[in-house]
Amino acid sequence: MNAPDRFELFVLPDGVKKLTITPDTKIPNAATFKVEKEDHTLANMLRMQLLEDPKVLFAGYKMPHPLDHYFILKVQTTPDTTPAHVLGNALTELIQNVGSMKNKFEMELIRAKSEAQKIDNGEGEDLSSHQVDMDF
Amino acid sequence: MDMYNGGPEVSIRALKKDSMKFVLSNTDLSVANALRRIMIAEVPTMAIDMVEIETNSTVLTDEFIAHRLGMIPLSSFDVDRIQYTRDCTCTLYCPNCSVELTLHVKVNVDYDDMNDPTIDKTRQVTSLDLVTSDESVKPVSDDRAHPILIVKMRPGQELKLKCVAKKGVAKEHAKWSPVYGVSFEYDPYNKLRHSHYWIEEDEKLEWGVSANAVEEAPIDPNEPFDYNAKPDRYYMEVETSGCMKPEDVALRAMTIMQDKLGGLQIKLDDEFKEDTQRWGY
Ligand SMILES: [Zn+2]
Repeated sequence: MNAPDRFELFVLPDGVKKLTITPDTKIPNAATFKVEKEDHTLANMLRMQLLEDPKVLFAGYKMPHPLDHYFILKVQTTPDTTPAHVLGNALTELIQNVGSMKNKFEMELIRAKSEAQKIDNGEGEDLSSHQVDMDF
Repeated sequence: MDMYNGGPEVSIRALKKDSMKFVLSNTDLSVANALRRIMIAEVPTMAIDMVEIETNSTVLTDEFIAHRLGMIPLSSFDVDRIQYTRDCTCTLYCPNCSVELTLHVKVNVDYDDMNDPTIDKTRQVTSLDLVTSDESVKPVSDDRAHPILIVKMRPGQELKLKCVAKKGVAKEHAKWSPVYGVSFEYDPYNKLRHSHYWIEEDEKLEWGVSANAVEEAPIDPNEPFDYNAKPDRYYMEVETSGCMKPEDVALRAMTIMQDKLGGLQIKLDDEFKEDTQRWGY
């Protein structure tokens, strides 16, 4: 009866900001990012990518409560950059990686399907290294 | 800067009608896990979401039948054409954001057979009895000999209802998940020691290596433990409900991942524009 709507997990309500940046008042070059309506899927990916950056001194995330659908990401950097800047770099890098993953997958799909075609046509191809079994 | 230079690699090992296996390599564990999580919970499909029951004299209650109908996988390869109801201009549902399916089964009483115990008078109401208004959205069943059972009826009973199938994601309800199972394995020899096996006497005897071990070099007993090592090969398996092809589930998941990251990058840029002073830009 008073159960929260399940779509609250992923629908951003009107007037709510997807991303909020709060600079840390005590630690230099540190900030907290609050991302609404996202979970471990995005948060963990961002954290791991940030940690690859040598200018990142700290990167960690948490989902404060299972009924609140946001995560916070804390980042501290070296003085020659800013948390927002390294987050931007991490995002660029991830977008590039996912894009190339998608391209590789599409290319592999063409190869896998053409090999399955050859099996159907009974053409003698050596498939020992790339065995693809299909049943369309 | 990046230990995974050159970006991710993909190699498809098996591709079937409703399952696939592929190896994802040269990327972080978090990326492989994000792909798995998105395939399970964020790829949209169609599922029955509202049921209007006109007549139900079966042994199952209305809500029991409504629940069973919701779980029936519907073909969703054309789901991009359909809108989410919450984004639609209509109030409840319309052809832009839903597909109607109807079901009407009435088992007539045949008085000649009634008292003959050798004749099976049970009528199985299955997914084949659902009549769709849109041929691209219909119950998944390649095998007409094994459709999905909804309820069993005896002579004299009747079931008449109208279903409204809507687009959704499994974050809202698991019935919208396009997959029945997604799994991935990494480091089959447990070189990274991420797994701690429960053993009685001998780990090697009690825990055999998986089929994926043939792809990797076995542990060299003279090699010291590398505490800096990270996983970089993931053996992924996807099994769908039949609502769409497994390769499409993976591709859609990757697109969703791109949108997620891209969307956040746009928001980050907006923050820069709003407050350039704070960050010294
Ligand atoms: Zn509508």
